Amino acid sequence: MSFTELDLDNLSKLARIDILPDEKQKMLVDMQAILGYISEINEVEGELMRGEEDVINVVREDVVTHETGSNTVVILEEAPSVKDGYVKVEQVLK
Amino acid sequence: MQKTLRQLHEEIKNGVLTIEALVEGCKKTIKEKDGDVHAMLGMYSDALVTSQIAKAKDMFAKGTATTLTGIPVVLKDNILVKGEVATGGSKILEHYVATYDATVVKKLKEAGAILLGRANMDEFAMGGSTENSAYGETKNPHDLTKVAGGSSGGSSAVVAYGGVPVSLGSDTGGSIRQPASFCGIVGLKTTYGEVSRFGVMAMGSSFDQIGPFGNTVEDVREVYNVIKGHDVMDATSLPEDDKSKEKSVLKKVIGVPVSFVNQKGVNAEVLANFNASLEKFKQEGYLIKDITISHLEKALSVYYVIMFAEVSSNLARYDGIRYGLSHPGETSIRSYFESRTAGFGPEVRRRILLGTYVLSSGYYDAYYNKANLVRNILKKEFAKSFTDIDVIATPTSPIPAFALGEKSHDPLSMYLADIFTVPVNIVGVPAISVPSGKTSTGLPLGMQFIAPHNREDLLFTYGEELERLY
Repeated sequence: MSFTELDLDNLSKLARIDILPDEKQKMLVDMQAILGYISEINEVEGELMRGEEDVINVVREDVVTHETGSNTVVILEEAPSVKDGYVKVEQVLK
Repeated sequence: MQKTLRQLHEEIKNGVLTIEALVEGCKKTIKEKDGDVHAMLGMYSDALVTSQIAKAKDMFAKGTATTLTGIPVVLKDNILVKGEVATGGSKILEHYVATYDATVVKKLKEAGAILLGRANMDEFAMGGSTENSAYGETKNPHDLTKVAGGSSGGSSAVVAYGGVPVSLGSDTGGSIRQPASFCGIVGLKTTYGEVSRFGVMAMGSSFDQIGPFGNTVEDVREVYNVIKGHDVMDATSLPEDDKSKEKSVLKKVIGVPVSFVNQKGVNAEVLANFNASLEKFKQEGYLIKDITISHLEKALSVYYVIMFAEVSSNLARYDGIRYGLSHPGETSIRSYFESRTAGFGPEVRRRILLGTYVLSSGYYDAYYNKANLVRNILKKEFAKSFTDIDVIATPTSPIPAFALGEKSHDPLSMYLADIFTVPVNIVGVPAISVPSGKTSTGLPLGMQFIAPHNREDLLFTYGEELERLY
């Protein structure tokens, strides 16, 4: 299994991160080395069955815990663009 | 010799020391030393410090003061304090002001602690040297040409140079224990679920834990007692009644995975020091038992696969839309690219990409599923090995503090420095790093003790024993 420049380009799109031209080669070499190392776990035989892990789901009661709008002002202060009590984004469909 | 929390508490109670003088003293030390070390990213507002001083004085007057009342504390900059900046060591949150208090902050405030400032860290806790901070590296107070360790390097260094008596860090794969070891202080990684992570920036959610730094095991225990406890705001928080309350009799047996500890790449001085520490325990009547933990040599790979995966999911939230750095692009989707590329440093970007890779449909089974399989095996192996020992001991780090820049260009070599600390996070057990002397060139060394789930008490017992022996 080899990790190629094309793989890197595809990951860039999926992760919403640009790979800058001057760092591409180093990024590729570093990732190949890291993936080469961690591939050793493929040597372990077996497969994890669903439900085998000793974890449980934790959910809270489905009740309203905050009065509507009680945190709106303070949270929106951190948003880069705001309109009428909402976060404003670029138009998606044009 | 730094004063312990209890000594400071007595001095404040008896009027020998005022809280104002203690706070001013800490600020003065930070001002003098931090120019060289750069442990701090910023100080909290005067309003916060003043109100906490007033609260602490009131608690002393009313007789409700705890050991932490009036004690200045520094927090790793991934812990939220309402109304204060919290950057996570990242450019993407350079101007972010926290909108609520983390649960640990709430608990510290209630205990009357004085929250003093924010400590430097690797960006979003990704690194082992604090060189990945977007705001410059933290240097080791024992040798300014060496790293302080990481990712909680700032929290560790500020305690080591006497800026504050105690601080908080977070530990995902060794980020409290390793810098504690490099800086010659005590650092505790608590049992997974023991301390609420509500209000702490998530990195690897199945590993992350908050824990204290201090000069002594006793100080670390005092902070631990304040910050622990169930919290409904953290779904991974352990219910009180779920914990094993039963405390077994001390067996006085230490398990050592001898062949694992003696693997290639472990520094000779580190090994000699570790063996000397074991010898001291032997002379005190402790038994050293060679243990074998199957698949332990794969722990590092398991850790990195799962951590990469969790990083790529957790950091999807930094999109430049709701908070943080925002670089508008030509289209809405380009805005994500522009903001994230400009806001994240190289190591964070690399880990997000690696996480995206191991979770992608073609490789999910080969990496992520396999890693979880081995994780399950390791959990069982650890539980089995604890049946006839109290704790497992290893050196905290395979090497002493390394030179600044030595590993920053080779991420894999940086990862390999985590071999002794990551198995603990994979299994979710608690562990402590306690100073065990110094190298011939004067660099601190640390010994790690690992206990079963919820048995921090064993770590304190063994840690204090080691302190006594050195």
